[in-house]
Amino acid sequence: MVSDILRVRVIELAARFNGEVEENLGELELTVDGRYILEALTDARNFADVPCDFLHDLCGMDLGDHLEVVYQLSSLRGPQRLRIIARVERDNPVINSVTQIWKGSDFLEREAFDMFGLQFRGHPNLKRIYMWDDFEGYPMRKDYVIESHEQRAVMRVRKEGE
Amino acid sequence: MDALNNLFVNIAAAIRGLFADSHSFGADLSINIIVFIMLFLIMVVAALFLSLVERKFAHWVSQRSGPNRLGPHGWFQFIADAVKMLGKEDITPANVDKFLFKMAPMMLVGVTLMVFGVIPFGEEMVAIDLDLGILYFFAVSSLTTLGILMAGWASNNKYSLLGGLRAVAQMISYEIPLIFSLLGVVMITQTFNLSAIIEAQKTIPFIFLQPLAFLIFLIAGIAETNRAPFDHVQGEQEIVAGPFTEYSGLRWGLFMLAEYGNVVATSAIAVTMFLGGWYGPEFLPGWLWFILKIWLVIFLMMWVRWTFVRMRIDHLMHFAWKILLPLALVNIFLTGLGIYVYDLFIVRIGG
Amino acid sequence: MMIEGTQEYSLNMGPQHPSTHGVFRMVVHLDGEVVTKVEPKIGYLHRGLEKMAESRTYTQFIPYTDRLDYLAGPHNSLGYVQAVEKLMDTEVPERAEYLRIIFAELGRIASHLVMIASGSLDISGWTPWSYCFRDRERILDLFEMTAGNRMTPNYFRIGGVSQDVPEEFMPALKSFLEDMPEMIEEYYGIFFGNEIAQSRMKSVGILPKELAENLLITGANLRASGVQYDVRKAEPYGIYDRFDFEIPVLYGCDTYDRHFIRLLEIQESKKIIEQAYKDIPAGPVMTKVPKVLKPPVGKVYHRVENPKGEMGWYIVSNGSTKPARVRIRTGAFVNVQMLPEIVKGWKIQDLVTIFASMDLVLGEVDK
Repeated sequence: MVSDILRVRVIELAARFNGEVEENLGELELTVDGRYILEALTDARNFADVPCDFLHDLCGMDLGDHLEVVYQLSSLRGPQRLRIIARVERDNPVINSVTQIWKGSDFLEREAFDMFGLQFRGHPNLKRIYMWDDFEGYPMRKDYVIESHEQRAVMRVRKEGE
Repeated sequence: MDALNNLFVNIAAAIRGLFADSHSFGADLSINIIVFIMLFLIMVVAALFLSLVERKFAHWVSQRSGPNRLGPHGWFQFIADAVKMLGKEDITPANVDKFLFKMAPMMLVGVTLMVFGVIPFGEEMVAIDLDLGILYFFAVSSLTTLGILMAGWASNNKYSLLGGLRAVAQMISYEIPLIFSLLGVVMITQTFNLSAIIEAQKTIPFIFLQPLAFLIFLIAGIAETNRAPFDHVQGEQEIVAGPFTEYSGLRWGLFMLAEYGNVVATSAIAVTMFLGGWYGPEFLPGWLWFILKIWLVIFLMMWVRWTFVRMRIDHLMHFAWKILLPLALVNIFLTGLGIYVYDLFIVRIGG
Repeated sequence: MMIEGTQEYSLNMGPQHPSTHGVFRMVVHLDGEVVTKVEPKIGYLHRGLEKMAESRTYTQFIPYTDRLDYLAGPHNSLGYVQAVEKLMDTEVPERAEYLRIIFAELGRIASHLVMIASGSLDISGWTPWSYCFRDRERILDLFEMTAGNRMTPNYFRIGGVSQDVPEEFMPALKSFLEDMPEMIEEYYGIFFGNEIAQSRMKSVGILPKELAENLLITGANLRASGVQYDVRKAEPYGIYDRFDFEIPVLYGCDTYDRHFIRLLEIQESKKIIEQAYKDIPAGPVMTKVPKVLKPPVGKVYHRVENPKGEMGWYIVSNGSTKPARVRIRTGAFVNVQMLPEIVKGWKIQDLVTIFASMDLVLGEVDK
């Protein structure tokens, strides 16, 4: 399922950034520290022969002790697929934005910010996308308390001068 | 047949006969009031009926259900619609220019009604037989632009304003080919009087002499009445309903009334100028022929509306200035040439 | 206060506007009629499906998936159930696989018909609109007679489909397929071949290939920009590898091509359904699956070609009856980003056309 060339490239990449490579249901998975994500993605994008140059998905993930940003890579010109997972601290969830590589990651990152509170450094317009602007909390985190409809009573107070 | 043909003329004469002096001020006044009420009724009924026919036509063309509940096959739907419209709440938004906002629909309806004044529905069946009938028609009908702009400006809504400005741009542009297309007929008949123009078509309707002019008139007329494919003023997909966005209830109804009234008026002018007015085979009275021909033109307009999609606004302008106007000028030139040759021919052979 | 010269102004289109196809809102900056900038604002239909998935069992979540792209319900569920099946390593009976393909492709035709219909309605073409809806109705009738629901059939199950199709399904499907060439000709005649419609759409809203790839556009919008890529071919899921069909690709990159490619795709879908109709075997439609689903610990990312774009399902299982995380990557959500890039300099009328050509469904944009 996974081509050997891709596996070699990914293992090389993992060695550079001290990451772990796993194979999960026929898909390669590379886990790296969040600090190296921009370099790792740039490299993966420029893999010789098997460039993973299409960011298929970007999403957040809450694992309790830390957060993850999951990048699903593929290509429009080949069957290669790669999943890169970046670990981010829970208290300080800062990670570099990839909007400079893929312009289209704009909304995906905004969504991850909205749902998990991941701070993407270098994002042009990091604002909430689904929830309203003064919503408090990050709903997809595991510690977000779901209140009953009555209890929540979301009443938006009009700000001064609005 | 003659009795039926002159039915309305005879009724008018009978009413005049009630007065001691049949041409006194009192007789004129009462005839005028009756004619005014009749015209208003004609316009309202025609407009209401047209709103139903439009939907019926949509049902035939686009294979949808259409009104089918009230009366046989839903043909009484327009009564229910009228009643519903009367009962609706009239909302005046907070930040509108109240005077203009309320004036605009009245003005539109008034203007449309004024156009009906010069339309000859049959022989001697015209409210005011003006010698400058065509000129009057254009002068009055171009006032509708003002009414729409008033509505767009007064509504204090960006969509309305956009619609109002579009109305000005579009209607003024299309006025010119509209006027020019009728000049050919005027050149042939040498008169501006609508009844005289119809009488000139006793032998042959002018559509056979001026086919190009009829086409230009129809296209520009559709644009003048803001119907698809030139319905940029309302353009519901982009500017919601244009100038009518903020209107509700009877005021909105008045706009619709004016719109459909305009359609009837424009068709009536087309019938007068090109389709031979009240002339037709003898088995029907003249005024019925006139009405049937109006419906024929309306049918054409509806066919166009339900077939074509809306043009782009820049293409719309190009179409008026670069295609219709030169064509209208060519038509005038050809008419002039034709008249010259015809005169020559008549002089040589006839004289 | 007097303002000298001309001034740009902003117009708030939506969330209640006739042609924003739902509750999409955009703030349009205008110079007269010319658009200078558009800011899309979404989230008015956000239902938090991903969050809901975490508190429901794997089976309970299937009906929710239909509500993503509610115009093509079956294909969303297809992605979800196949992802879970991949996770659990479940075999699906042959007949169920064929039925799934038939339903998914019928859903694609229905979705594309709505797209063409609303695209024509946005330039005031009422008649093409009602033609498309007339024919879509027959597809919905097929869904209804099988699953009971019209737009959101909730037909697929983990391990098969909920029930076999009724007796009258196959004849109705056949007559629908037979009528299709005539329908397509009709759409072409009244909409695509219409001179005014062409002048409205051709070379409007150009999305060049490089920009499309950089913006991560997927689906028919990408194929209209000259990239021949379809998950059904690139990474066949289900039994798509058994069918003979082509991926239409157009190089105009404009609004017209984005509309027209849908018509071509309808024809390809028809081919697929015809083959499936011919080859469908008899047999069971549901495999034996445990009453309580407990997939093993693991992660799976499954992609399907939804009519609106590529849909990705990232499901993380922690071994319990409820998923630890269900991530839905929807095509329309990412595709929204092309709007601000391609409308600059066009008129407000063209904005509506361009927006229609993107084929957004707010259920999918807002999840």
